[in-house]
Amino acid sequence: MTRITTGWKRALVVALAGTSMFGISAASAANLTVWAWDANFNGATMQQAFDRYKANNPDDTIDIQIFDKAAMEQKLQAQLASGQTQGLPDIVLVEDYRAQKYLLSFPGAFEPLTDRIDYSGFAPYKVEVSTVDGQTYSVPFDSGVAGLFYRSDKLAEAGYEAADLEDITWDRLIEIGVDVKEKTGETLLPIDPNASDFFRMAMQSAGAWYFDADGNVTIADNAALKSALSTYQRILQAGISKPKNGWNEYTGSFTSGDTLATTTGVWMTATIKANPDQAGMWAVAPPPRLADVPESINATNLGGSSWYVLAAAPEKEKAIDFLSTIWAQDVDFYQEILVNQGAVGSLLAAREGEAYQAADDFFGGEPVWQNWSDWLGEIPPVKYGIFTEEADSAVVAQIPAITNGGNIDEIITTIDAQVRQMAQ
Amino acid sequence: MAHSHLARSEKINGWGFVMPALVLIGIFMIYPIVWSLWMSFQTGRGMQLSFGGLANITRLTQDPIFIRALTNTLIFLAIQVPVMLVLALLFANALNDSKLWGRGFFRTAIFLPCVTSLVAYSVIFKSMFAGDGIVNQTLLALNLIDVPIAWLADPFWAKVVIVTAITWRWTGYNMIFYLAAMQNIDRSIYEAARIDGVPAWARFWYLTVPMLKPVILFTSIISTIGTLQLFDEPNLITLGGPSDSTLTLSLYIYNLSFKFMPSFGYAATVSYVIVILVALLSILQFFAVRERRT
Amino acid sequence: MSNPVAFLGRTAQYVLLSIAAFVSVFPFFWMVLGATNTSPDIIRGRIAPGTALFDNIGKFLTQIDLPRVLFNSLFIAGVGSALTLIVASMAGYGFEMFRSRVRERVFSLLLLMLSIPFAALMIPLFIMMANLKLINTYQAIILPSIASIFIIFYFRQATKAFPHELRDAARIDGLKEWQIFFYVYMPVMRSTYAAATIIVFMANWNNYLWPLIVLQTNDMFTMTLAIAALNAGYTPDFGVIMVGAIIATLPTLVIFFLLQRRFVEGMLGAVK
Repeated sequence: MTRITTGWKRALVVALAGTSMFGISAASAANLTVWAWDANFNGATMQQAFDRYKANNPDDTIDIQIFDKAAMEQKLQAQLASGQTQGLPDIVLVEDYRAQKYLLSFPGAFEPLTDRIDYSGFAPYKVEVSTVDGQTYSVPFDSGVAGLFYRSDKLAEAGYEAADLEDITWDRLIEIGVDVKEKTGETLLPIDPNASDFFRMAMQSAGAWYFDADGNVTIADNAALKSALSTYQRILQAGISKPKNGWNEYTGSFTSGDTLATTTGVWMTATIKANPDQAGMWAVAPPPRLADVPESINATNLGGSSWYVLAAAPEKEKAIDFLSTIWAQDVDFYQEILVNQGAVGSLLAAREGEAYQAADDFFGGEPVWQNWSDWLGEIPPVKYGIFTEEADSAVVAQIPAITNGGNIDEIITTIDAQVRQMAQ
Repeated sequence: MAHSHLARSEKINGWGFVMPALVLIGIFMIYPIVWSLWMSFQTGRGMQLSFGGLANITRLTQDPIFIRALTNTLIFLAIQVPVMLVLALLFANALNDSKLWGRGFFRTAIFLPCVTSLVAYSVIFKSMFAGDGIVNQTLLALNLIDVPIAWLADPFWAKVVIVTAITWRWTGYNMIFYLAAMQNIDRSIYEAARIDGVPAWARFWYLTVPMLKPVILFTSIISTIGTLQLFDEPNLITLGGPSDSTLTLSLYIYNLSFKFMPSFGYAATVSYVIVILVALLSILQFFAVRERRT
Repeated sequence: MSNPVAFLGRTAQYVLLSIAAFVSVFPFFWMVLGATNTSPDIIRGRIAPGTALFDNIGKFLTQIDLPRVLFNSLFIAGVGSALTLIVASMAGYGFEMFRSRVRERVFSLLLLMLSIPFAALMIPLFIMMANLKLINTYQAIILPSIASIFIIFYFRQATKAFPHELRDAARIDGLKEWQIFFYVYMPVMRSTYAAATIIVFMANWNNYLWPLIVLQTNDMFTMTLAIAALNAGYTPDFGVIMVGAIIATLPTLVIFFLLQRRFVEGMLGAVK
């Protein structure tokens, strides 16, 4: 074995001799490794954060590795499961929905930051998702504060102004959709029949989830979930939606004018603004609430992610210092990433900055960022627990039944049984 | 004396040729396999594992999603593998003709799908089968349908899309094995049959197919294993949906390991269901195609 | 072609092949068109040549260190494929030509191993590679791929068509067993090797799951990993992805073009 290995190494040295220019030069200062999943969004903001940090730490470098999100999660999970720390990054981006699962499945893998970061400055719901047994592990990054993006030009044709969409219920939106369809012939919403986004947003708007704070399954008598399922059924029956399978078809639908509106996270802004020919034709309203659930408000969340430091990170101290200096304190930095990437961070103080005050001509000259940060503060905190993916898959499996007009109580019974089976 | 010498040389050479492969397999497969077998008796979350005895097998019998994934996988197997192999055999036979004009072009064209990168493959297939995608547009234009088919939103049609996608991707691949094997057939046999007035279909059925038997057996076992492990297409095109109608065993294993709360032990147990299926099917195939030893 | 039945048969042959070729190539045609279009146009399903080709290529080259990535992929796929062909064809030959009860049992076991999904073996294999200090090396990818059971099985099945008389004749001529393998078997079976080369190279070139787990730094990434990373994020640029997909498809196509001449040779009756 040894001989094979040395032989190999020799062959490699020869093979690499011609390409030595690609070799990494050994640096004496710290080199931080980061895993993220979007070169233009979280990867780019991380780079800017580091550029600011570098001003005072000129010897340090950063290596941001971008993977497809599912691939990155798989890579992380495989490596944590193996118990091998070689090759793990210093900092990793984790989607909020998955945080509890990682923290509880791989105890000791992530570094608690409770004593190192001042969490009082962050949106409370973001801190909640990464707290286990009183220890908080993340530096909150982008918020998934949700809103209703809509084509103001098309809705105006049907006689609807911004005020008509302010603080409405889903049933009001259905009425509007039906009316718009009658007047203009256009379809209001794209709906991905494989996605659970709608249910997640609807439940969190009422401060509810599939599980209670202790992780018990609360599907059978969950008023918010029941209302979400029947509202979804009414949307489909109203004929104001088109089925769109997968991310590309879904985003392609409303960015091409095929459909007129969607409720989603603020991070969709960049995708919408990627079509400059539509400048001035878009507006954002608060997300609709559930009509028959009193707790439901016009604020909720979809997605969002946070930075975590690996406990075995070779540059752990550096990583924490960097995150705490820039990500937990630097208000100007948040202005920068808002302007450059449209990234709405979770540091509440950031909203006092200049960029958050500015109006956006793409969205009809409205101070959209100020609105987003207002809604951000209202999002009801929810414990996502560790079985959110399982519950989602059980709900999504019932979408054809919901679509075909199935009885909601029976559907809930089926979902409940499946989630209980899977959550073990 | 000479006889025993020959026997010993047979023994030495027999092991000599297979040894490098066996050593590598021993190192890089046996160890992980033993490990995963051991894992299949463990329960728990992530790396918080403890010995669970047969708990995972009990869980298997009570798991409706597993039953669904198993059923879907077997449906894919029963429909897709025969269709693809028959097509591959037909194409290979049509191409195995030195008088055919444009042979190189056809061969390359039909092989092309399996070299495509998966990212492009998923983007292309999803957009082709979108609600207003080119497939629906074509069918509407030809008046074959009145309303667009919800390809990826309907449990039945989603299965059809998956079968179509796998067949598209792997038919040319299997064709290459048949073509290569056809080259090893002595052409004089064909000439003799042709001169005797044996029609083309009979030459195909009574000469080509029996001669290709080892390779047909090979492709059917490989395709069976491939389909039982089917992962790429449902993962990239339908994500197992709608309503788990295209969820396969492999995708379920993946979900159990990487999407859901990691249950590596249970995932390993599901993996061994595939192994048992393959063992059963191999026995069946063995009796069906029972080779005559020469 | 004077015979009307033969004429009909030939026409059917062309129709069948033309339909198959069209269906096979159409998505590629789409891919090539996609490379000339902007991302929003591709999402809208535009099927016409666009003007963004050079823009897309430019963006591709700034996002991906093409020479480096290409070298990694070619090295892994090239060395890996060559080793697989030798080791696996030897084993396939050995299993078929020297039969014994024990080796038949071993072979059946190999077939069962082939059916274990890789996802179940990945984590133990990763731990093993880490213990061998091979994480983030070419060896970590090449070593487990060399003894491909699939290719061993293929060579065994193909060897059934290898005339035993050839071996017997060679033995009478005094050739040693390894000489028979290298000087008689290999040349005679070249269309089998050609097909196997295409298949092995393609499998290595497109390998995704394992390199993703075991490679850690950008300078080691393969073409497949690099292109998958392009698809990451909330607004992937499909024009750039299509450029990447075309570039990633080319090497296997070149191998295929080069090696399919071997099939043609076979058709001319060179194999006897």
